[in-house]
Amino acid sequence: MGRTTLQAIQLGGVALAVILAVSCTGVATKVSSSGESIYRRKCADCHGQKGQGVEGKYKDALYGDLALPKLTRYIAKNMPDDTPETLSTAEAEAVASYVYESFYSRAAQARNHPARIEVAHLTNRQYTVTVADLLRQMSGPSDALVAEGRGLSAVYYNVALRGRFDAAKIVHKGVDAELDFTFDESSPARTRAASAEISMQWRGSVTPDETGDYEFVVRTPNSIRVWINPENPGFNAGDATLDVNVSNPEFPDHRATVRLIGGRSYPIGIDFWALPGKAGATPTPALSLRWKPPHGSERPIPARNLSPAVVAPTFVVNTRFPADDSSQGYERSESVSKAWDEATTSAAFEVANHVVRRLDRLAGTRPGDAARAQKIEGVAARFVANAFRRPLTADETQRYVTAIFQGAPDLETGIRRVVLLALKSPQFLYVELPTSAPGDQAVAARLAFSLWDSVPDRELLRAAAEGKLSTRAGVTAQAERMLTDARTRAKLREFFHHWLQIRYVDDVRKDAALYPGFSPDVVDDLRTSLDLFVDGVVWGEASDFRELLRADYLVANERLATFYGLPPPPPGEFVPIATPNGQRSGVLTHPYLLAALSYKTSSSPIHRGVFLTRSIVGRALKPPPMAQAFDEASFDPGMTMREKVVRLTRSENCQGCHAVINPLGFSLEWYDAVGRYRTTENGRPVDAVSEYNVDEGEKVRLGGARDVAEFAIANERANHAFIEQLFHHLVKQPLMAFGAETIVRLRDSFIASGYNTRKLMVEIATLNALRNTEPAMIAATTPRPLP
Amino acid sequence: MTPLHRRTFIKQAGLSAAVLPFIVGLPSLALAAPARPRQRLVVVFSPNGTIPPAYWPDEVGRDFKLKEILSPLDPFKDRMLLLQGISNKVRGDGDGHMRGMSCLLTGIELLPGNIQGGGKSIPAGWASGISIDQELKNFFQSRPETRTRFGSLEFGVGVQDRADPWTRMSYAGSGKPVAPISDPYQMHEKLYGQMKDRESLRSVLDPLKSELAKVRQMISAEDRRVLEEHEALVRQLEREMAESAGQTLRQGPPDLERGVADQNDNVPRLSRMQIDLLVNSFVNDMARVATLQYTKSVGGARMNWLDITDGHHGLSHEPDTDLAAQQKLIKINRWFAGEVRYLADRLAATPEPGGDGSMLDHTLIVWTNELGKGNSHTLDNIPFMLLGGGFGFEMGRSLKFDKVPHNRLHLALAHGAGHRLPTFGKTDLCSGGPLALG
Repeated sequence: MGRTTLQAIQLGGVALAVILAVSCTGVATKVSSSGESIYRRKCADCHGQKGQGVEGKYKDALYGDLALPKLTRYIAKNMPDDTPETLSTAEAEAVASYVYESFYSRAAQARNHPARIEVAHLTNRQYTVTVADLLRQMSGPSDALVAEGRGLSAVYYNVALRGRFDAAKIVHKGVDAELDFTFDESSPARTRAASAEISMQWRGSVTPDETGDYEFVVRTPNSIRVWINPENPGFNAGDATLDVNVSNPEFPDHRATVRLIGGRSYPIGIDFWALPGKAGATPTPALSLRWKPPHGSERPIPARNLSPAVVAPTFVVNTRFPADDSSQGYERSESVSKAWDEATTSAAFEVANHVVRRLDRLAGTRPGDAARAQKIEGVAARFVANAFRRPLTADETQRYVTAIFQGAPDLETGIRRVVLLALKSPQFLYVELPTSAPGDQAVAARLAFSLWDSVPDRELLRAAAEGKLSTRAGVTAQAERMLTDARTRAKLREFFHHWLQIRYVDDVRKDAALYPGFSPDVVDDLRTSLDLFVDGVVWGEASDFRELLRADYLVANERLATFYGLPPPPPGEFVPIATPNGQRSGVLTHPYLLAALSYKTSSSPIHRGVFLTRSIVGRALKPPPMAQAFDEASFDPGMTMREKVVRLTRSENCQGCHAVINPLGFSLEWYDAVGRYRTTENGRPVDAVSEYNVDEGEKVRLGGARDVAEFAIANERANHAFIEQLFHHLVKQPLMAFGAETIVRLRDSFIASGYNTRKLMVEIATLNALRNTEPAMIAATTPRPLP
Repeated sequence: MTPLHRRTFIKQAGLSAAVLPFIVGLPSLALAAPARPRQRLVVVFSPNGTIPPAYWPDEVGRDFKLKEILSPLDPFKDRMLLLQGISNKVRGDGDGHMRGMSCLLTGIELLPGNIQGGGKSIPAGWASGISIDQELKNFFQSRPETRTRFGSLEFGVGVQDRADPWTRMSYAGSGKPVAPISDPYQMHEKLYGQMKDRESLRSVLDPLKSELAKVRQMISAEDRRVLEEHEALVRQLEREMAESAGQTLRQGPPDLERGVADQNDNVPRLSRMQIDLLVNSFVNDMARVATLQYTKSVGGARMNWLDITDGHHGLSHEPDTDLAAQQKLIKINRWFAGEVRYLADRLAATPEPGGDGSMLDHTLIVWTNELGKGNSHTLDNIPFMLLGGGFGFEMGRSLKFDKVPHNRLHLALAHGAGHRLPTFGKTDLCSGGPLALG
């Protein structure tokens, strides 16, 4: 096996990593002790003495989830790699059972690598959210994280005065949904103004769905001033993100890239003046407010992302940190690097400079105030305490605040250094440090990180100070309160993107000749549809996980309804639209996923099957042992996709995993490359029926997505996989560190609650928050005493 | 000082991971003698035209006398080159002031736009090409031996915070005006902010190290590895900072007077602060090109410090027969000459770092204006006064041309810097090639 290389399969011109997986091992006799000796003789050269893998031979560690009989058959047939005939059946049995018991099985893995709570530094997301919230706390009581309503509030004037507005000339006040106007003679706005000279002001908030860089584009041949999350509240001319006084019809697009945290609102303002240009050449006044979201194409900002209410600005750090370690299936950060250390310095300066620029406002003081020094030191001390998620001792206040101010030439330099030291300190950067904090403070911090990826808010700190977090009921009550916060929604949305493997999906385009109408707008709407569907289920009354897998409706707007042949919804709205019986089954058949898991010209049962295997039915897959290129041209064009995949993966090597992957993938053959339901492919009827081997001997007939959904809902391993992924996303510590029985308990209560996803979150967050304070509950997690 | 400027500046010159090495290790500034003598260019702008009879010498050639406006520059007379008869011949959209300003250093038409100028002029937008200062900056930055940290620095004095073709003379390209920085504190931050950051970072390293050591004691042996690695990174940072400590600036930042607000009455003080920063940035070789823009085209500064309470632009419209206005304008222009004198004095008094002579020997000052004369708005006879050295021009002369397009002067500047452009700005206006000034 060491001879083979790992490679992504490329087919149809799309480069998507596909997994053709096989688990392998080799050797044995009758007694299990001789299994060990056979292994040493015949297997260890390639697989390592403890199955850890050998660089240059077979480098992957030997572990997986094949049942023992299947592993035995595999070994008997294929191992050792070059000479499988040298191993007798009895030997194969012996070595298989040695391998299984010693390191292959999940139990063996857990025994060999006991999970524990590890000290880890903040993930990139935690850093960004935490810093934003620390500065919000500094600003004093703040308004809502998310603004209500749709569109932006608008004021129209029938005069254009450069750089200002005349309140006496207001002709219209209202709310505009999308800002995508051409003010020609017949346009309503122009008619309302009844003037060629018009000016407008729009105010409100913008709420991005996801975290990342948003490129805002304001397209206009006219003069504008635009604010997107300016540094200070209010829309001060000097704070503008774009200030285009001089129009330039040749270059109407004005761009600004702004980093935003998803799921919360930011102030946005646009001033617009249609001033006359060259006689006879003055362009028709026009304005289009557009953006290019991290995973989307450039388009007018949808009304659903705009609100007429103005919120306070939020500081979003711009420093790029090195990517978090995702090798365990969730983001965690237990190693440090020079790049990371430099990023923490850069980011700390960013924050410190922001604080200094806004110092008087943040400290509630002004130059000449007799108490200015005192107020600034006070605000600095609170910042450090909030950053450390606990009150400071007198000694710490001296070291982190007082001494720093004493050593600085002025107050501005003093607070810059206090912020710098606090944000470089391990007390801020690391979670799970045993600190001198009272237990309730640590409980509060764990709750906040679990649900928000952030520091505790005032209410949580108050509960901690009042001793309300020392009981399970008290913690649960806080967790339930925190669940309604926008930060929980944002974090949970990221989880679903992770679970559905769409975090890094960027190119869902298809062959335009084969799939006309599958435009970038359709793709963007599909992503929105998926988000709204998941939100609707999870934050709906029942919060029923089963609905995520079973739902027979599609959340769609007009464009999607048209493309997917559904009855049209009200204009501008995304609403659930029932689909014909049996055609849709929740996320499994959501067209965004189906399209993302397809080639440009055809469906891809392998991509879809791998997704179902890992995310939905919860089985482990290893990287494919050999490279296999899917060459469309090598197949008879009359073959169906299923037939091609069967031929491609028919070797025994491939079947180790494809026996699992293929039946799952084939069940989605009812959907073409853009996720439309079909009954024929290439003029031949779709064949989506297959048998899925659940485990040794147990088989399930799968005829479509609904069968997969029902199987996953009832199957223990599938439930465990979902719970475990959610747990890891929230807690960022191995579930096994909480004891092997924890997963079983969580599943029991999940089922008892009617698969209530929100209750599961509360349960997980509470479990994590109380982990060191309920020793009887989780014994294995207390940090070990120092030697 | 406006938050916009600060923020824009922070974005441009502020801290990001890419800039961090500057904090940790400033590039070596104790430069050896350059392979060939340094060349620097400073363009000084003052607005609203001049008073020709009080500006232009009567004589042509080496033997000439400075008139009243230029009299403050008398000590530098033999290092000056006065160029009468140069015209801004760019036509097209925009009023005289707009074209005067935005075509002054670009020599090319304005783009269409919605800026309505005076009279019956056609509205216009930004200039459609790069300015000569930015062209030379790019040229210097393209070669390792003349590359500097910033390349060029754009200083302003009393420039109002409104972006339009009257307030911008530097252009990075078509439709891309470069905003001057009018606030000396902001310029100080741009030039030296990293040094302060470096000092701040250094000051927190000791408490940080003791904190890390303390935390390391508290945690389990398995987790200790991460803290040890973290401590090693902090020690590495400390070492790198210590190693770069020897790389100091040739001259420390100037001590700016505190709390001078960006206001009309502070213009004299702001001017000196900006000139001090400009000279300082040259000593530390942060840039080879600078612009120093006093107010803006149509600038209405009230020079109360000269006992003139009328706005500059309003005065410039008064007819030649208004002798009181003429006297005030002469006084105003002589004040600008005094500021040029201060700049020249500072450069002349500073030895060229690692080279021969003074910095003025290697620096050419070009003082100019957007108009020839305020009340006629003529773009002919624009006051172009060159002072200093380094471009190979024969100084100490008063020359008179016959309505030569100013594009040819820009070409002469480019060629003087070794940048042999065939044309600059509007091609039609370049025939005859660079003005022969050598």
